[in-house]
Amino acid sequence: MIKAKQYTCIGCPIGCPLQLQHEGKDITEISGYECDRGAKYAKQEFTDPRRDMSTTVEIIGARWKRLPVKVTGPVEKDRVMEAARKIHELRVRAPVKLGQILIEDFLDQKAIHVVSCRTMERID
Amino acid sequence: MYDVAIIGGGVIGCSIARELSRYQVRTVVLEKYAEVGFGTTKTNSGIIHAGHHSSPDTLKGQLVVRGNTLFDQLCSELNFGFARIGELVVAQGEEDIPVLEHLKKQGENKGVPGLEMWDQKRLQREEPNLSHKLVAALHAPSAGVINPYEFAFALIENAVDNGVELKVDSPVLKIDVVKDGFVFHTPHEQIASRFALNCGGIFADKIAQMVGLNDFTINPRKGEEYMLDKRLMGLVRRLIFPVPKPTTKGILIIPTFNGTIMVGPTAEDTDDRYDVTTSYDGAKQVFDFVSNICPSITERETITEFAGLRAVSNTNDFIMGPTNIKGFINVAGIQSPGLTSAPAIAEYVCYILKGEGLVLKPKGNFKHHVPGPPRFGTLGIEEQQKLIKENPLFAKIVCRCELVTEAEIHNAIDHGARTLDGIKFRSRAGMGRCQGGFCTTRCMDILAKRLGLSFHEITKRGGDSWIVTEMGKVKNR
Amino acid sequence: MLDRMEGKYDVVVVGGGPAGMGAALGARDSGAERVLILDREPEAGGILWQCIHSGFGLHYFREELTGPEYAERFFEKVIDYEVDLVTNSYVSGISVDSDGTKSVRVMNEEHGMDTVNTKSVVLSMGCRERTRGSIRIPGTRPSGVLPAGLAQKIVNLKGYLPGKRIAILGSGDIGLIMARRLTLEGCKVAGVFEIMPYSNGLTRNVVQCLEDFGIPLHLSTTVAYIHGLDRVEKITVAPVSKDLKPDMSRAWDVKCDTLLLSIGLIPENELSLSLGIQMDVVTGGPRVSSTLETSMPGVFASGNVLHVHDLVDFVTRESLLAGQFAGEWAQGVRRPADNIRLVPGDNVRYCVPHSLSPEREHTIYMRCKEAMMPCRIRVGNLMERKLRFVVPAEMIIFKIKPDLLDKFHGDTLRIDILPAEKGKRHD
Repeated sequence: MIKAKQYTCIGCPIGCPLQLQHEGKDITEISGYECDRGAKYAKQEFTDPRRDMSTTVEIIGARWKRLPVKVTGPVEKDRVMEAARKIHELRVRAPVKLGQILIEDFLDQKAIHVVSCRTMERID
Repeated sequence: MYDVAIIGGGVIGCSIARELSRYQVRTVVLEKYAEVGFGTTKTNSGIIHAGHHSSPDTLKGQLVVRGNTLFDQLCSELNFGFARIGELVVAQGEEDIPVLEHLKKQGENKGVPGLEMWDQKRLQREEPNLSHKLVAALHAPSAGVINPYEFAFALIENAVDNGVELKVDSPVLKIDVVKDGFVFHTPHEQIASRFALNCGGIFADKIAQMVGLNDFTINPRKGEEYMLDKRLMGLVRRLIFPVPKPTTKGILIIPTFNGTIMVGPTAEDTDDRYDVTTSYDGAKQVFDFVSNICPSITERETITEFAGLRAVSNTNDFIMGPTNIKGFINVAGIQSPGLTSAPAIAEYVCYILKGEGLVLKPKGNFKHHVPGPPRFGTLGIEEQQKLIKENPLFAKIVCRCELVTEAEIHNAIDHGARTLDGIKFRSRAGMGRCQGGFCTTRCMDILAKRLGLSFHEITKRGGDSWIVTEMGKVKNR
Repeated sequence: MLDRMEGKYDVVVVGGGPAGMGAALGARDSGAERVLILDREPEAGGILWQCIHSGFGLHYFREELTGPEYAERFFEKVIDYEVDLVTNSYVSGISVDSDGTKSVRVMNEEHGMDTVNTKSVVLSMGCRERTRGSIRIPGTRPSGVLPAGLAQKIVNLKGYLPGKRIAILGSGDIGLIMARRLTLEGCKVAGVFEIMPYSNGLTRNVVQCLEDFGIPLHLSTTVAYIHGLDRVEKITVAPVSKDLKPDMSRAWDVKCDTLLLSIGLIPENELSLSLGIQMDVVTGGPRVSSTLETSMPGVFASGNVLHVHDLVDFVTRESLLAGQFAGEWAQGVRRPADNIRLVPGDNVRYCVPHSLSPEREHTIYMRCKEAMMPCRIRVGNLMERKLRFVVPAEMIIFKIKPDLLDKFHGDTLRIDILPAEKGKRHD
């Protein structure tokens, strides 16, 4: 049976309303896009939607109370909240360097880490 | 046991507290909010009336002129912001002129100094930004403006310096009438006194009911005010009044002490004693009216708005004096010109207390003076440099809109600020056009450090007015 | 004052955010020797430190970075380029001597009040958020009504939450970003309310910050009333009619303890105004020539103090240029005065700079008044460019080549955004 999914293209401010028809895992048709970015985006969203992920963690002994961190590769959309909870369990001690790895192979993904987004010096 | 308990730390309660502190009397002030002046006082228009508006047949009409004359000395002793900028009642048509003439005569009979009729030409020369359709004006040079909250803070500070006790967060829940006086129940304690002064403002009738008095009611009348951007400073130099109506002196243009222009208030009766809401209708009323008087004022210039409640009594006059309950004295129904009358009311209440048997023996060591806040932003560069030399924290800007320094935030805390609003009303941090966008976290940091509180324990104005909450609490939910 | 602040600077930059850092680098690139950044915060970088989401740097670094990463990369450059940086310092005034030297008055806890002399100045103080007062929401005045950027600082730097149940007025990007941010921290975001019939944020943010988390976006809807005495208890929201007034007959209540405002930014020009610089009432920033010089000779402006940008990359690009010209100016280079005035025409809200010179290529930054699709930009009779769309939320940037201007003999060049001509295909 053919089913339909709707997406809004994020390629540009036009925000084309995309329609994707599929039979199980097979895409049968994509429509509604003004340029190729739309088709590509709908396909990605259907097959493997992922999101960039950044948040903050507690840091001790620094100027600010929170350290900005990010995941170095996109996280599966359905696991974003889970990822946030995991990252929030972290507590870091200053000093920290920009790009310092805080969690290695995050969510069991090889070479995808949680890293610090800035340097924070130790302040006593 | 106290001699006198003052119920309510508004500008009236604070004025009386300061006046009583001249004498060897044990006085306590019971204030329900986190700081004094946080009720009607802080929303007051801040006008020191010349006195020609109110009829001499009323108590308010009698006290206002005396009150006005006391402000010069009070200001020199207590260092709150006060300036006699003068007032104009403007006539929008020929039919208004007889009213101006009546006001002039009424004022002269009451001893209001310097009243003068201005014709259109004079009015345009003195206030060129007012509408050229205005035909005449009555000038009252002795009218002025103050920052009402600063006045209340200075009064209570001076009173406390002279031995008065202040209890904040202490709403009076119940009053027992006992043999020698009264016992007041607050959430924390019971306090006994011989005399009770009911300065309960909007709630004065409810306070009176606690001792079984049902002879008056307070019918709050709401006033909305709109504060305009500093950009308009100097547009109008004097207080501008329309020709008055029975319930109100009308919607005014108020160049506040700091120069920022405020417009309002509306006048709307309300049953809700907590109704300090502003409304679309109120704004429309204010700006429709004001734009007729001063066309360059528009709603777009608003930086903030607020509303306050006038404690209008069913007699439409001040209700002051002893009651059937011995020792219980009403100081109620204090509507406009209550702020102007406050110093005279304080004198009058002492006179009443004396009549009721309280011995008022002057103190030998009464301190007249409080220093007042430093107000760095208003000083010349040399004076600023001098302050910085004394205290480097004067070189650290906390509020960029009003140029308030960290030293001034500490000063506010030294002089009683316990909340973010307490800091704002003492130092002006957060009063400018960014409305705290920049200084909020800075003020919170300093408050937290000085009061030994966590960041999330800081409130805007006490009670449930928390500002931030802890992260963990949500996360672990 | 400070050892390194002694003597005379070539360029003093007021504000060390992305604009100020860009201007300082541009000034050094131009050959100016002594360049100083004065910043009121404890560290340079401005608002970027609290913008922890990604989306920065695609144009400038060709790489998608978070705000702090963008800030730190620039900060390192500032150090590499031997720019002097003094933080915790507030510029309280600037005066100009008879020989054109500027005295910048600085306040700093450690060193008190002092002045720094410089040949030229770049104003890069950034912008601030519009507040409740500027849009006039009726109701009570409880704690819990705050601009979204302040909430962002509270969460990302101070480590607290502005509340637990959040409503957001305005669909600007900061509001959308905060909707996601607070959701990730466990708050409930009850909805985003936008008075216009379209979102003011990027589509990407509408999708990834709201739709992903099931947060409703109510268009053509505004907050008509705030309830709660001490703390926000609920808000009344209402659809708006064509004149943008709330229709109270269709209003409903939303329970929340916090109302974030994401209703726009205003260039922060107190210092510029105190200098008596000519302003553009539409942008809220100074009027500038094609060298980004204000009406006061030797005083330049760039970044959000000039006009509010949507992307930090464009702030950087504009600021590098302002810094270059400020640096040149300090070294005695005087460009010929602009002789073409640039004025906004149909459907153009503003354009920056305000004048041009045929001497060199120009980058024009502009915004439209209303969305239009498809459309064309017409620059006098010199050029016309087709565009698939314009929206007010997205800045339009294009270049004008000097050879085009050479052909122009008028003194006023008008820019219009017009509907695409019928029958002609757009690309």
